[in-house]
Amino acid sequence: MNSIRLIAAKETGELLGSGRGLGWLITLAVVLSAFSLLLVGSTELSLLDNAQAVYMVMGTITALGGLLAVVVGSDAIAGERERGTLVPLLLTPVSSTGIVLGKMGAQLAAWVAAYVVALPYLWAVGSSGQNLGAAVLYLALFGTPLVIGFGFYALGLSARLGNVRNAMLVALITLILAASPLVLGPSLRQSGIGKMFDAVNPFSAALNAFDSVVIDSDPFGMQIGRLGVVLAWLAVTALFARASARRLEGT
Amino acid sequence: MKHWILALAFACIGSMGLAHAQTAPRLSIALSPAPGNPPSPEMGNWMHFRSVVRNTGAAPAQSVVAWIGLVRVDAGHEQPMDLEDWSAHKAVVIPSLQPGQSFTTEWPMRLIQNGDYRVVISAAERHAQRLDSSPFVDLHVRVKPTVESRRILPVAIGVPLLLGLIAGLRLRRRA
Amino acid sequence: MLVEVRDLKLSIGPVPILQGVRLGMDAGDIYGLLGPNGAGKSTTLSVLTGLRRAGSGAVNVLGLDPATQAQALRRRIGVLSEDSGFYGWMKARDYLRFMSSLYGLDLPAQQIEAQLERVGLPGASAHPVGAFSRGMKQRLGLARALLHKPELLILDEPTNGLDPRGRREIHDLLIDLSQHHGVGILLCTHLLDDVDRLCNRIGIIADGRSVVEGSLADLLATRTGAGRYRLRLRGDPPLPAALPEGVTLIASEGEWMHVALPANADPGQVWAALLAAGWDLVEIHNESGGLEDFYLDLTHKELTS
Repeated sequence: MNSIRLIAAKETGELLGSGRGLGWLITLAVVLSAFSLLLVGSTELSLLDNAQAVYMVMGTITALGGLLAVVVGSDAIAGERERGTLVPLLLTPVSSTGIVLGKMGAQLAAWVAAYVVALPYLWAVGSSGQNLGAAVLYLALFGTPLVIGFGFYALGLSARLGNVRNAMLVALITLILAASPLVLGPSLRQSGIGKMFDAVNPFSAALNAFDSVVIDSDPFGMQIGRLGVVLAWLAVTALFARASARRLEGT
Repeated sequence: MKHWILALAFACIGSMGLAHAQTAPRLSIALSPAPGNPPSPEMGNWMHFRSVVRNTGAAPAQSVVAWIGLVRVDAGHEQPMDLEDWSAHKAVVIPSLQPGQSFTTEWPMRLIQNGDYRVVISAAERHAQRLDSSPFVDLHVRVKPTVESRRILPVAIGVPLLLGLIAGLRLRRRA
Repeated sequence: MLVEVRDLKLSIGPVPILQGVRLGMDAGDIYGLLGPNGAGKSTTLSVLTGLRRAGSGAVNVLGLDPATQAQALRRRIGVLSEDSGFYGWMKARDYLRFMSSLYGLDLPAQQIEAQLERVGLPGASAHPVGAFSRGMKQRLGLARALLHKPELLILDEPTNGLDPRGRREIHDLLIDLSQHHGVGILLCTHLLDDVDRLCNRIGIIADGRSVVEGSLADLLATRTGAGRYRLRLRGDPPLPAALPEGVTLIASEGEWMHVALPANADPGQVWAALLAAGWDLVEIHNESGGLEDFYLDLTHKELTS
């Protein structure tokens, strides 16, 4: 566990302390600022219920968090290999699982940072206070396993494909597919295939939970199934990452 | 004699048509704003309209479809409005309306855009040859000023600036 | 034995990479692993460190099976691979502290500084690794490999990027580790001078197979039947009559003396005898047909057979 913490601390320092990591957080803030200013400046958008505005901001934060996880995860193994730092790490007594968990610790730190940056925006658009507390809670409850799951997924691809560009490409395509409910109209989502996709898509589960809690004020009991989908996503991707990292040694 | 027979034939045909016309369903539609509506509505307000579809004919009306329409009449902006954001309740089906029977529907609508509008309810029996509609209800929607800039502006400007400042300090420390 | 490899075979997909590698070394040995590019040296090292699994054959490192006991093994070996990378944004001391902590060590700052000084990087602890030259990175890599006091060092081209003085310093360090601390050193290098100076055992791999393997002196002696050496002395040498029995003076060129030893002579004992007889030896070079000729001969035969 100590080596996991050490690797996580090193990775977090590298990610958040570097220009790259800070640049990402600034980009996130700029995107959220642009969206918030759009709410102020556009007459149609400004008519959205505060609850709807909060829902949209939650979806945006989750999507951006997923994007960051994909970018960081894709570089996690393949990037180290390309920079020559992977072999020295593998040659320490730390197991490949330990390396994966250490790197994911940094991903978690990055998501927490993004979440903290997003909180003022949620407060700003949620002025009526309707379900604002629930929004903050559910963004953490659903957003965290969803985003970390994408991190695991991208890391697993990074280990398997051995190439940052290829890993990022595959992971991004998956993310875009998963996040497509954000842009698909209700009629497409109501079709047979749309419903099937919605049932297994963790992104849909998160968005539907946000909608249900923040806009419709539904209780937690109605979100259990959706939480199950998101947690299943986290578990499957974690296993995928672990199995992929194990292939790094003893091949 | 021949003339009398022809006249009688035409009279029969005419009366059959008249009889059909008299026995076909006729729909009369009344439309009025609900009592609780804001007196001077502005963008973002909810309004409710009430329609009463009555079968004033002698025959039952089957599968009547009634729908709400909105047309903007501001000079230079005349157009029928897409009710996508205005209302989720755009149509109703009345399975059967007996002669003399009426059907009342409530039509909620959120006022998305400012301007002058005319609201109308249209209805038609499923296989009818003509459309029935209500009289117009005229509506003026006032502009609503931009909202909550006091909260959003400081955050939208302040958070990126703060992060930029942190980034700048870190980079300077590293250099 | 510290390391024992017998008939190691490995294929990557349908391509055979190792087709029978053997290797044996004890504690305190400096073993030179030689071979042309693509011969399978790095792959052999990967198997020894547990990064690859052998297809067949016996591999034993420090009494452990690298395939199944890799983590335990890595606590006891230090490795410097050829393309070793570093976290350029870290300072040297932070980098070594981080790497040592992965071994469960909490080294104080003085020890980290001492380690850096030992590899010839005094005063570099506060510099970011990204600013290091290639040679400095090699030294840092060696420092990293030595952090946890390994019993076996596996070094792939350790003197790459070093100037002659730097190479000499590293040689001295390795000799010290081998002779005074009993560390076994497995050295993979193309620099035959390094092998000549450092190694007491060598293995030559060509086309995935071991061509020769064993004591360097024995191998060279079997090749020529006699060991020829070039000695540099400080001052005038004693008379030829002072040479130990069987040792022949072939030629003398200023401070350089060319001598021949009998095939069964132990060079170490001969040098000790010379020193006792008053020979002030500064350098000793093996010229028994030359390691280079030996290597080229063997690898040419293997590649053309």
